[in-house]
Order: sequence, then structure tokens, then C-alpha cells
Amino acid sequence: MKPGKSFSRKFVCAIVFLTHTSFALAQQTSVDSSILERLNELEKKASNSKQGEDQVLIAGLATIGFASFKSTNTFNGTTSVSKENSFPDADNFELSPMFLWRHGKKFLVEFEPSFNNNGLSVNWADVSWFAAPGLIVRAGYLVLPFGTYAKREASGWINKLATDPMGVADMTPTDYGVEVEGGLPLGSMKINYDLALSNGNQLLQDGTLTNGNISDNNHNKTITGRFGILPFSNSSLELGVSGMFGKVGDQGSDIQNTMSKSYAFDFNYVKLFNPLLINIKAQYNIQNIDKVDYVNSPDSSIYTFENHTKAYFVQGSLRPTGASGFIKNVELAGRYTLFNTPANSSFGSDQHTVTIGLNYWLSWRAVFKITYETYKANSTASKDLGYYNGITNTNTLFIHFAIQL
Amino acid sequence: MKKIFVVGILFFAVLLISMIDSCKVSQKVSMKSGAQLWAENCQRCHNTPSPSSFSPEQWETIGMHMQTRALLTEDEKKKIVEFLKQ
Repeated sequence: MKPGKSFSRKFVCAIVFLTHTSFALAQQTSVDSSILERLNELEKKASNSKQGEDQVLIAGLATIGFASFKSTNTFNGTTSVSKENSFPDADNFELSPMFLWRHGKKFLVEFEPSFNNNGLSVNWADVSWFAAPGLIVRAGYLVLPFGTYAKREASGWINKLATDPMGVADMTPTDYGVEVEGGLPLGSMKINYDLALSNGNQLLQDGTLTNGNISDNNHNKTITGRFGILPFSNSSLELGVSGMFGKVGDQGSDIQNTMSKSYAFDFNYVKLFNPLLINIKAQYNIQNIDKVDYVNSPDSSIYTFENHTKAYFVQGSLRPTGASGFIKNVELAGRYTLFNTPANSSFGSDQHTVTIGLNYWLSWRAVFKITYETYKANSTASKDLGYYNGITNTNTLFIHFAIQL
Repeated sequence: MKKIFVVGILFFAVLLISMIDSCKVSQKVSMKSGAQLWAENCQRCHNTPSPSSFSPEQWETIGMHMQTRALLTEDEKKKIVEFLKQ
């Protein structure tokens, strides 16, 4: 190729390239400005809707149900019968929205008000500080770490049956105080601990204990603790032991040094034996209060009794989660409960319930429950003081719907 | 009161020993995925939740709440929440 021709060709190519590029650049400049405007708008929107470190969530639960019961009481050879069909009451209705405020990744505020026909109350209201791995520090109005039923299993959408096991949750107070807790690995096992210091229960003149949103009645504090162990690496079994110790008498009264010592043992086993998911739960509570003089309210006479209470339940449930279709949502549950209150007191009774249930899970957090419960109570109340009230048998059918909000 | 003190001291002694020893996590446990931990731990109390039930931000909050209830270990909570956020 001749050098003159090569030069003119290069020159023409350069002219064509420059012309094309200048056209393209002019076009691109106009496109860029519209894209930039759009980008600016999007950036503004994104900045307005950017997630902060905090987050508020409303969860909670609702239970609504119906109960139909027949009760017979035999006392001094006379039998009386009562029947009732009831839509929502304290046992068959609950709406408890739970407010969770997360402040970054270190703090969590939990507040759960609850409404039923006993009125409006508060289940818990506390602030947790996630201080370190395995260490959570909490303060406020707390469900004390006594057993696991009240803290983990009592919600309507978690409980496999329509009723709570008598006495078990009642012996777990909610109280003002501070708490430290955590879960820690231990080889292939796990352990957990939960320790609380709170105002404590109050011993009433008739020998019963009261708790929950009460004024501190003495200068002493109650210590409550639970230690749990999950010995298997698949977390299928948890065993726990709890203790609660404190003076419960009113300051300045004759019973101000009266001690209450309570113990609880809990058991939880959950395992899938395909296609059946098996769950066995149990809790045993013991409560001992020093033997002191109590007041018989009607005539203010003084009397005494061994103030010893025990309550336990054993519950089993089966659900074919490994099956397909309708059957995988069906669950069978059964429970035996015993609740013995102090003999020769004004409220002594040996109570037993056998409860069976058939559940249908509409989703993982919504359940329709049919529960049948037989209740038997033999009064052990003081005959001398006229509190003995014979034998009571009650059979109740519950139909409940429970959902996690 | 002395008994309470003794029980308290024993409790903390056991706790301290356990915490010191807790550094030793078996490989079997540390290798577990979030999905496996979700399946094993949630059903201890209730049915296993569907990841689609809440947003990633909400799962973060629920993870903290569940750590206080079920006393999950830090590693378990992190892995389960990450799985549920996907």
C-alpha cells in the first residue's frame, strides 16, 4: 500500500470517528441529565425510608372460646348440680398485644398488656440489655424464673390444651425486680441460667400468698433462680431446677420473719419419630411456708396449719408432622394435673384434673382446639372452722381458637 | 438466710465453672446450620415459624425476644435469625 493513500484513509476515518463521537456525546449528555434527576429523586426517597437502628413490633396473642360445664357437689349427703354454657370469660378469652421496642442490637423493651373479663392488666413490662454473649440483664416487671410453664408455655397458641394446669402457673409470680440470664454452649450440650432479685410475694392473714403488681410489704427481697441443662446436641431434652426463697410477712407484723421456700422441677422432651412429633412436658412445684399463726377472717380467731402446697402436671402430645395433607395439621394432647393446697386451712383441697384435647393447626401460629376436662376436688379444709365443703366433680368441654398476632 | 446464701454461692460457682468451660463447643454443634437450629430449637415450645411471616427487620427483633424466653446461645440466635431473614 502507498504511504499517501494510507494517510488519507486514516484521516477520513478520524473525521468519521470524531463526528460520530461528538454526536454520541451530545446524545449521552442529554440522557445523563434525565437519569441524574431520576437518581436524585430515588436517593431522596431512599433516604426518607431508610431503616434506623431501632424497630418497634407489635406481636402478642389472642384466644377466644366457649365452655360448657356440669358440676356436682356432694356435701353432708346432699348433692347439688350446676350447669353453665359460657362465651368469653377469664378462662376463655384473652387479647394480649405484645409491644417490642428494639434499640439497636443491645436493648429490648418488652411490654404486654392483657385484656379479659377480669379487666386490663399487664403480663410483663421490662427492659433487657444484651450485655455480652450469654449474659442478658433485665429490669422491670418480670415473670420470675420459676419453672418454665408460665414463661414459655402458657400462651394460648403454644399451650396444647384450652386450660392451664392448676396451680402451676399461679405459683410463678410476676414481680418488680432485676434479672440476669443467658444460654451457653457446653461441649455438645447446652446450659442456661436465670436469676432474679425481686420484692417478693406477700403472705395474707389467712395463709395464702399473693403476687403481681403489689406494693413491697417488707424490707426483704426474694431470690428466684432456675438452672437448665439440655444434655443432647439436638436440644430435644431440657431439664430444669428452680428455687424461690424470701420472707413474705408484712413488715412490723407478728409474721414478718415468715419464710417461703419453693422449688420447681421441669422437663421438656420434643422429638420427631417420623412421621410423629412427640412432645412430653412436665413440671413439679412445691411451696413451703413457715408454720405460723393465721387469722380466721370471719371471727378473727387464731389457728394454724402446715402451709404446704404442691402442684404438678404431666402432658403428652402427638402430631404427625411428617405426614401429608389434612392429617399433618391434627394434634392429640393429654394431661394429668394435681394441685394440693394445705390441709386444715380455710382453703385446703386435693384437686385432680384429666384433660384431653384434639387440635387442628390452621397455620404454624393459629390453632382450633377442642378440649375435654374432668376435675375432682376433695376438700381438706378445716372442719373445725366450718370450711369443709365436700367433694366436687366438674366436666367441661372447651372450644377455643388461639392465634399469635 | 444462711441457706439462701449458700445456695446462691453454689449456684454462681456452678455457673462460673460452666461459663469457663463453655468455650469448648463441640465441632458437631458449631457446624450446625441456621435451618437445623431453627428446626431443633423453635419446636421445643411451639411450631417452627415460617420465614415469610415477618420481615428481616422484624426477625431481628423477634430473635432478641426469643433469646430472652428460650435462652438460646448467642451463636444459635444469630444463625436462626439469619436463616429466617433469607
